[in-house]
Amino acid sequence: MTEPSRSDDGGAGSGGDPEPVTDGGSAAVDGRVSDLTAFLRERPRLRTLSIAGPPYGILVFFFAIPLLAMLVVSFQADQIGGAWTLGNYVDFLTSDTYLTVVWRTFLISVQVTAIVAAVGYALAYSIVRFSRRTTLLLLLVILPFWTSYIIRMYAWINILQSDGVLDSILNLVGLPAVGLLYTKTAVLIGFTYVWLPLAVLPFYASLTNLDGDLIEASKDLGAGPIRTFLSVTLPMTINGVITGIVLVFIPTFGSFITPRLLGGTNNVMIGMVIENQFKSAFNWPFGAAIGMVISVVVVALLLLATRFGGGLFGAGGETS
Amino acid sequence: MSLLRVRGLTKEFGDLVAVDDVDFDVEDGEFVSILGPSGSGKSTVLRMVAGFEEPTDGEIALDDVEVVGSPPFERDVNMVFQDLALFPHLTVAENIGYGLKQSGVPADERRERTERMLEMVRLEGYGDRSPAELSGGEQQRVALARALVNEPALVLFDEPLSSLDRKLRQHMQGELQRIQVETDTTFLYVTHDQEVALAVSDRLVVLDDGEIQQVGTVEELYETPASRFVADFIGDVNAVEGRVVAVDDGTIGLDVGDGEVTVPRDAAVGDVAVDDAVDVCVRPFQVRVEPAGDDRDVANAADGTFSATGVVRSRSYQGSDSQYGIETDRWGRLSAEIRSASFEIDDRVAVAWDAADVHVYRRDGDGSADDDGGS
Repeated sequence: MTEPSRSDDGGAGSGGDPEPVTDGGSAAVDGRVSDLTAFLRERPRLRTLSIAGPPYGILVFFFAIPLLAMLVVSFQADQIGGAWTLGNYVDFLTSDTYLTVVWRTFLISVQVTAIVAAVGYALAYSIVRFSRRTTLLLLLVILPFWTSYIIRMYAWINILQSDGVLDSILNLVGLPAVGLLYTKTAVLIGFTYVWLPLAVLPFYASLTNLDGDLIEASKDLGAGPIRTFLSVTLPMTINGVITGIVLVFIPTFGSFITPRLLGGTNNVMIGMVIENQFKSAFNWPFGAAIGMVISVVVVALLLLATRFGGGLFGAGGETS
Repeated sequence: MSLLRVRGLTKEFGDLVAVDDVDFDVEDGEFVSILGPSGSGKSTVLRMVAGFEEPTDGEIALDDVEVVGSPPFERDVNMVFQDLALFPHLTVAENIGYGLKQSGVPADERRERTERMLEMVRLEGYGDRSPAELSGGEQQRVALARALVNEPALVLFDEPLSSLDRKLRQHMQGELQRIQVETDTTFLYVTHDQEVALAVSDRLVVLDDGEIQQVGTVEELYETPASRFVADFIGDVNAVEGRVVAVDDGTIGLDVGDGEVTVPRDAAVGDVAVDDAVDVCVRPFQVRVEPAGDDRDVANAADGTFSATGVVRSRSYQGSDSQYGIETDRWGRLSAEIRSASFEIDDRVAVAWDAADVHVYRRDGDGSADDDGGS
């Protein structure tokens, strides 16, 4: 029985009766698989490429090439294929209106990131340290992701609008209506709600890995709760914190749906301006130029923040 | 006045009584170990002294001040953790200086005291390294230095040596004793390892099932164990089942199988009465082994010895001594620790020990009665 499978696909043609045929068939398959394995074994670079290739291919095709296309278009006048020019950049960087929008976007992003980081850290901390129902609580945190972003924003419109859910509740308990829709507060609430899970997950991951003995050791050595947090808990989880901050800050900076639906016309953010250039003004080169500038600004800010954060906490407790 | 006074200490986790009405004292400058098997509640006692657990009931006084209810960072004790809990994001020197920094010691003095402590634990020049670059033994020293540098009234140890190999552990035991004397600090050490406890401690607190079994010096515990459990736990012991047949002023008559032996009255720990079922315990090093003669295998009340014949079943060399496992005809398996290594497996031998060397423990109800004689 083992004989055919030893020989290289020679068994396939040998048999008249059914049994050897099936044996021969499987032997042929075995033979091919081991040929491929042997082929790859001798070519380690090809093997690596066969694993790493597809994801890199996707990245190049859907990310690097479009980015490059955007860069090229941003140097063209008026429309795709227009004359080469620096005008788009000059227009954008010399316009007070646009720079005000960028500044506002930056401020809102910083505020959102700070709120989400604080709330998210407290949430992750309580899930890890004060509860046994960790899985259930994490599931509840992720649950909103199962509903469409747009639908959730419309839900917030319902809650925040004048005489909406929030105002009705306030009326019931005898408080004046606030009518938060189309205010900056509404934008902050919406962002906080949407990005919270993104921050909680990395915070949670880093906090689970934190050895509880280190916290006890710190308290044993005379550090109260706040000092223990600042000199042990936070530095030990700083990588998760930076990850969470990055995950919140970037999408907030480029966001256009939330500010449009909840912020109205008083809270224009740069993402809305870019979207407008592409979808209404049909000035793709100008939109591309703004996009490039914003990308550079965000990447620079993040590099700064990571460097700063790493230096502040990574070097250890002697700094405080 | 004791440095540490523990009275009626009790800790319940739900229905489980982890620590049950524990009393003990630690005097200034002592090295006391709490010894017990895993699950005996010894670590819980330590954690209550440190302030990580709140007692359900009882008092803990440090320097005559009640500390129950005050948080760990307000207690004048420092702990060496089982897995050491060195801060991985700080250097060795920063780890050691952590406590000083929390209590507001200026940087100059901090550096000086950290430096002195590194010398004390023989890690000069290691200050700028990360704890991860150090060996297990070196990390132990850092953890010890981190606790000692604050000059606490009491240093607590939660089995920190258990992860080390035997040789290093023995070395660290010596180091602990040296450092304890040099710094004149009081140590309270928790362990399940009787070897460590016997080696380092001035006094031992033996804990089982949340209750104190015995408190005393190493010699007291070894020579006059208060219970069968302590006898078993501190060193090895052979136990032979017997029954009390006579009690008078100076002696107790025991029926051990098919013979009767008279032992001194003070061999019995606690009260015994006629008809009580008892365990007669003897240390392996007190058992004599001889080649089997013709008629030596009779327990003889007159000459005050226990004797039996048996077959050698196992033998292990332990340096100068050999430990024999002997299957006796009368009392099942016994172990004997003797100098001579002249017996082979399957040899027939006679074993004997003096009545003066035994301890007699009354069997409580039938709880332990199903244990067999040998141990």
